[in-house]
Amino acid sequence: MHPRKLLRIARWEVTKNAGGVDRRTAAVAVGALLLLGVLAPAIAGSGVAVDQGLYRVGVAADNPYHPVAAGDDTFAVRDPDPEALSQGDIDLLITGSNPVTVRAASDAKGRAAAAEFRSAVESYNDAQLGREGENETAAFPVSVTLEYESRSDSGGATAGGGGDSGGDTAAGGGAGGGGGGAGGDADDGAVSPGSGGDSGGSAAADAGGAGGVLGGLGSDSGSTTNPSDLAPPFPFESLVLAFVFIVPLNFLIQAYGSTFLSERLNRRGELLLVSPVTRLDIIAGKTLPYFLGAMALEAAIAVGLTYLATGSLGGLVSVLAVTPLVLLFLAATFLGAMFARSFKELTFLTVTITVTLTSYAFVPAIFTNAGPVALISPLTVVVRTLQGQAVPLADFAFSTLPPLLTAAVLFGLGAGLYREEDLFAQRSVPLKLLDALAGPVRKRWHVGAVTALLIPFVFVLELLAVAFLFALGELSIPLVLVAVAVIEEVAKSLHVYASFEHSRFERTVRTGLVVGAISGVGFFLAEKLTAIAQAVGLDAVPTGEAALQTGLIQGANPLVLLVASLVLPLLLHVVTAAISAVGASRTRRAYLAALAVAIVVHLAYNLVVLGAVVGGV
Amino acid sequence: MIEARDLRKEYGGFAAVEGSTFSVEAGEVFGVVGPNGAGKTTTLKMLAGLLEPTSGTATVAGYDAGETAMRTRLGFLPEESPLYEEMTPLSYLRFFADLYDVSRDVATERIHGTLDELDLDHRERQLGDMSKGMKRKVAIARSLVNDPDVLIYDEPASGLDPLTTNYIIEFTERLAQEGKTVVFSAHNLFHVESICDRVAIMNEGEIVARGDLAQLQAEHGETRYHVYTSVEVPGSVQENGRHRRVVESMDAVETVREAAEAAGGRVEDIRTEASSLEDVFLNVAEDGADAVESGDRTGVGDRIAGPDGGGRRTDRVRSESGSEGG
Repeated sequence: MHPRKLLRIARWEVTKNAGGVDRRTAAVAVGALLLLGVLAPAIAGSGVAVDQGLYRVGVAADNPYHPVAAGDDTFAVRDPDPEALSQGDIDLLITGSNPVTVRAASDAKGRAAAAEFRSAVESYNDAQLGREGENETAAFPVSVTLEYESRSDSGGATAGGGGDSGGDTAAGGGAGGGGGGAGGDADDGAVSPGSGGDSGGSAAADAGGAGGVLGGLGSDSGSTTNPSDLAPPFPFESLVLAFVFIVPLNFLIQAYGSTFLSERLNRRGELLLVSPVTRLDIIAGKTLPYFLGAMALEAAIAVGLTYLATGSLGGLVSVLAVTPLVLLFLAATFLGAMFARSFKELTFLTVTITVTLTSYAFVPAIFTNAGPVALISPLTVVVRTLQGQAVPLADFAFSTLPPLLTAAVLFGLGAGLYREEDLFAQRSVPLKLLDALAGPVRKRWHVGAVTALLIPFVFVLELLAVAFLFALGELSIPLVLVAVAVIEEVAKSLHVYASFEHSRFERTVRTGLVVGAISGVGFFLAEKLTAIAQAVGLDAVPTGEAALQTGLIQGANPLVLLVASLVLPLLLHVVTAAISAVGASRTRRAYLAALAVAIVVHLAYNLVVLGAVVGGV
Repeated sequence: MIEARDLRKEYGGFAAVEGSTFSVEAGEVFGVVGPNGAGKTTTLKMLAGLLEPTSGTATVAGYDAGETAMRTRLGFLPEESPLYEEMTPLSYLRFFADLYDVSRDVATERIHGTLDELDLDHRERQLGDMSKGMKRKVAIARSLVNDPDVLIYDEPASGLDPLTTNYIIEFTERLAQEGKTVVFSAHNLFHVESICDRVAIMNEGEIVARGDLAQLQAEHGETRYHVYTSVEVPGSVQENGRHRRVVESMDAVETVREAAEAAGGRVEDIRTEASSLEDVFLNVAEDGADAVESGDRTGVGDRIAGPDGGGRRTDRVRSESGSEGG
């Protein structure tokens, strides 16, 4: 690396296009960015009420329900005129004080206004009770305390024990799934899970399914929760915050991908390659302006939002958290630009990258308060910080390290292609992918190293599978197991196949077995990095546990622990990787068939292991 | 200054260059000629360090090809040199001067000096608005921005009009006269013949002939004899009152002389005609094609299947490689 030359390339990257954009275009672009910068924090801070003043309510100022209507933007307060109701000028008419009479217009809007007003009254009452901070018992005579038991206990027994007190009612629900459903017993004084008539019952009733997971994760063990919090409103603020951070990146990567592709088309970048600079100088130099630009924009947004939220300058944690995301966007685009043969292909790839990474970063961040699953996105850290919540270091590492390492792998794969014979070769995207994977493989042990380097990829994809599948209820765990088997077996074998295709190794069964075993060992060693997942409690989620396979090691004796956590996974990865590697050593069709066999073996192993953990799935 | 030893470049089992061995002395102009797909560009790119040889070695100015130190002493001009069209010649050349660690003052003086020599006036115009010839001149100026010892020019005048072509060829000749080592490839054999001290002829990835023009003519060319007689002899044509017969050996000249005397005449004049590089090239190319057709050489399919991949090299090239390497 030559830092001075790297910076010179960076400066050139900025200035060489200066003449290509006319002043009017530049002014429009700057204006659009400023508008985004100004509007976004304002929207995030105040929200957008599309239903403002939707329902017209006739209520007198001295009526006890006046504050309800006046305090909710959905309602527009009018004079309580019965004539107005009959003429359709108002939707609700509230008269009297004891008793209060609420009359709704006879049309559909009147009925909707009545329902909405009922809901507003409940929220108003909850808010009033919530202000009774010094006397919570008076405000909440019945409280429901959620406590989660570890899986080492029998789910059924734990749940049954819930009959001892109301506080244990939901114990089996959160973690035990099926066990939770049988936990409650009305005769023992517990809230029946089937009742659903009150708030506490609702929580327990859903505990075996996705709603239970979602609701349960929203509460910390032992905390007292307002029942209305168990069904949180749509997180509009989180959505806007996540959106604000993601949108600029999607524009930026278009320009970033184009600059690398334009180096490749017509061999423009050849003369840089023959200059006394390394390819890392070129890549880093061309990337630096886009990275700094993105970070400046993200930092401005973070500081602006922090100022609006707290009234003081800050946002360092947000900036640090969003850095891996910026790098991930750039790295994926860089690799895409190395693969694409034309701007048409690049557009397809950048759109794919946009959709994939936006889903990865955006969707979990919207549901920031849903629980550990949301932490797979660095934006969750950002949103939590902006919402004034503390983010433990482990949570921060869990959110940011996988995308950071994945970005490093993507940059590494792309850099492997940044040489004369790959840069200007017109090969299809799948073949380029194989080129990139085979590039670092020169000796057999390199296969294990590449497998290990792909672990961040595996980790991110598995987390993504967990995030997307955990809401599917009973189907989620089997689907996650299938996804995990497919992701891991492909990660262990695709570069092996690419290496055989690039004649790195002799095409013999023996070589296939050896190379496959090396890949399996590499995967096993690197997989231990997933231990970080346990630090943030993701394995408390059934789907998370299925993906990470952490449940087996809890509560076992040392010998079982050794076999279960080390020997069995090692055997699994070596055997399945060897199966697919033998196929890879022959033909593409043989590889695909062998990969399918390896996936089935892996899936069978996962089912057996998970069966041992939770007593059958 | 340049040493290439048994260079081989293989793409997916196909050998684009095979057993390429040659050396170029300091201050020499070395031409590489051959038909399309002969492996010229691949060879030059291996010398420039752009392509990594599958096997074999190349050193330039005492450094392994591709080393950073070697690149600082090399000026490379690829066959196609698309420029950053949004830049001006000056900003483009200054950028590369910075990458070569040329100080600003020296770079400015050198850039303007070279552009003066190349007669390029529009130095602040965007490259995208320039003609192909002007762009080529800028590309040549870029290859000189670091004042290199070695120049590798791949088809420097490709696709240019005759006037610009001649200008660039003469400029390259001047660079050689200034003491720079030049490796030069071209389709136009007249250009190669006019400025190269030695030439390597490539065909199907191999160097099939090499040497200075006299050597190549002696080994691969044909000296033809135009024998003018006072009387008609078999095979002669009448020309300006005399009879001319073209033969290709002195024995044949003697036969013509005997025939003329037998007819009562005599030989009035004998003129020799040496082969041009183009004739040599065509002879070598035809020899190669005939050899492949007759099975004297191993075909491409066999070469790919060969365990050591060395099936392409002929015995003749082997012996030449050996003599060259010493």
